[in-house]
Amino acid sequence: MTSEPAALDVPVDAAEPAPEPVRQRRWMVPAGRLLVLVAAAGGWEAMARLNILPAAFIGQPSVFLPLLVHQLLGGAILRAIADTLSATLAAFAVGGVLALATALVLTIAPPLRAVLEPYLDALNALPRVALVPLFIVWFGLGALSKIVSGISLMYFILLYNTLAGAHSVDPDHVRLARSLGLSGQRVFLRIVLPTAAPSIFAGLRLGLVYTLLGVVTAELIAGGRGLGSLISYYSNTFDANGVFAVLVVLVILADLLSGLMTRIERRLTRWKQ
Amino acid sequence: MTGREPDGDIVLIDVVHAFRQQAQSLRVLDGLSLTIGDGEFVSLVGPSGCGKTTVLDLMNGLVPLQRGTLLIGGRPPAAGRPDTARMFARDALLPWRTAYANIDFAIATRERDAARRDGIIRALLADVGLSGFEHAYPGQLSQGMRQRVALARTFSLESKHIFLDEPFGALDAQTKLVLQDQLLRLWERVRSTVVLVSHDLAEAVALSDRVIVMSARPGRIIADMRIDLPRPRSATRLQAMREFHELYAQLWSELERAVGPPS
Repeated sequence: MTSEPAALDVPVDAAEPAPEPVRQRRWMVPAGRLLVLVAAAGGWEAMARLNILPAAFIGQPSVFLPLLVHQLLGGAILRAIADTLSATLAAFAVGGVLALATALVLTIAPPLRAVLEPYLDALNALPRVALVPLFIVWFGLGALSKIVSGISLMYFILLYNTLAGAHSVDPDHVRLARSLGLSGQRVFLRIVLPTAAPSIFAGLRLGLVYTLLGVVTAELIAGGRGLGSLISYYSNTFDANGVFAVLVVLVILADLLSGLMTRIERRLTRWKQ
Repeated sequence: MTGREPDGDIVLIDVVHAFRQQAQSLRVLDGLSLTIGDGEFVSLVGPSGCGKTTVLDLMNGLVPLQRGTLLIGGRPPAAGRPDTARMFARDALLPWRTAYANIDFAIATRERDAARRDGIIRALLADVGLSGFEHAYPGQLSQGMRQRVALARTFSLESKHIFLDEPFGALDAQTKLVLQDQLLRLWERVRSTVVLVSHDLAEAVALSDRVIVMSARPGRIIADMRIDLPRPRSATRLQAMREFHELYAQLWSELERAVGPPS
């Protein structure tokens, strides 16, 4: 917010795009990344083939990648993806809204925040994995228990990020808003939220990935039809290739979700560029 | 105080204010009494820490009155009163809003008619020489331009009472004069009652009808000087006038008495 030097009195739209320093070839970074991926897969494959580590333990890219493609084409795994993804998005949305609402209340009422903070810290310190069996007891084996498991991660991540971001509010902005007669709720929506936007987005991005992990953890324990259940099925049948096929799906999914958040963030914080 | 009391648009009687610092109570204002006339432009000057900004905070209703009487247009102050407007030392522009949207942020609290708002915002941006910068974000503007947006925002409220808290403190001498002239032009059109806090004596003399000199903490009024320079004024042109410099020198000696001799 303070770092960029202010332009002199020059119309902004008249400025030409700055010439890029040392022109980097566009393909170099993706090509380099691909190279690392191919080398890793090749090394992996070699270890399995040369029996440095038994293929039954570590799987084999040449087996699980075709298996993955086969599953994707066959649609078997699509069902699991849909199941996991819908629970993740539900947990993300509900946990996110609850976190922002809590942040609103705690920012408007600092005494309440002082009272509740140690308890929130304590709740956040609970290992969520250990709670999943309880969630299953409370909410059954269906979608609800895994959504709650996702919420339990999402809520705290976004709450803490929002509160941390709210801390950097410019006191002058609050004084301006008060001198204009804005209510506490308006001050939160118009001043605090935009100020905290960068750290809220960091929280959303991190929270989305952790929500996915929370949902998958619940599926691992509860079974059902999601990706986590698939992993638990494959590992129970000692099928390392099956486990890795699902893990590849999870990694790609997490990456796509995180990339989506970054794009939304760029759109909404254009004023920083 | 002045002998000739105007009708009293803003009235302070025996205002006492103290801050709690650790276990101690720190008295910043000690029985401040002051009457400001309708449409008068009054500056408060004094050493830093003399409670100038506290006076504005009290008038603005941002800080509750502890003791004494304070009336703004006959009523006690309250935050968000539509007949009051405040401008801060640093521009207090919201960096995620464009110049236009920053002004709209303020004016939308008072005016519901979007078309009327649009007219006011565009006219004011033109008045401060920022036509064409409607869509610029504060980060893309120089400090002087940002203060001009803040000035436009303050006047967009069309308030009867305007409180300016060292509005040009962060600017270089040249830019300061330009902005003072813009302020004078905007004010001379509406003639609202203005209370300006400043530690720049030249600025206080150039802009005001009256300059109030406050003592070091706890703040009391030690001089109340009338500035009878003709209006409409231009801060830039005043720089060449002898009367301006005489008043400035006179004010300096008053302030020196307030702060004490240089050690």
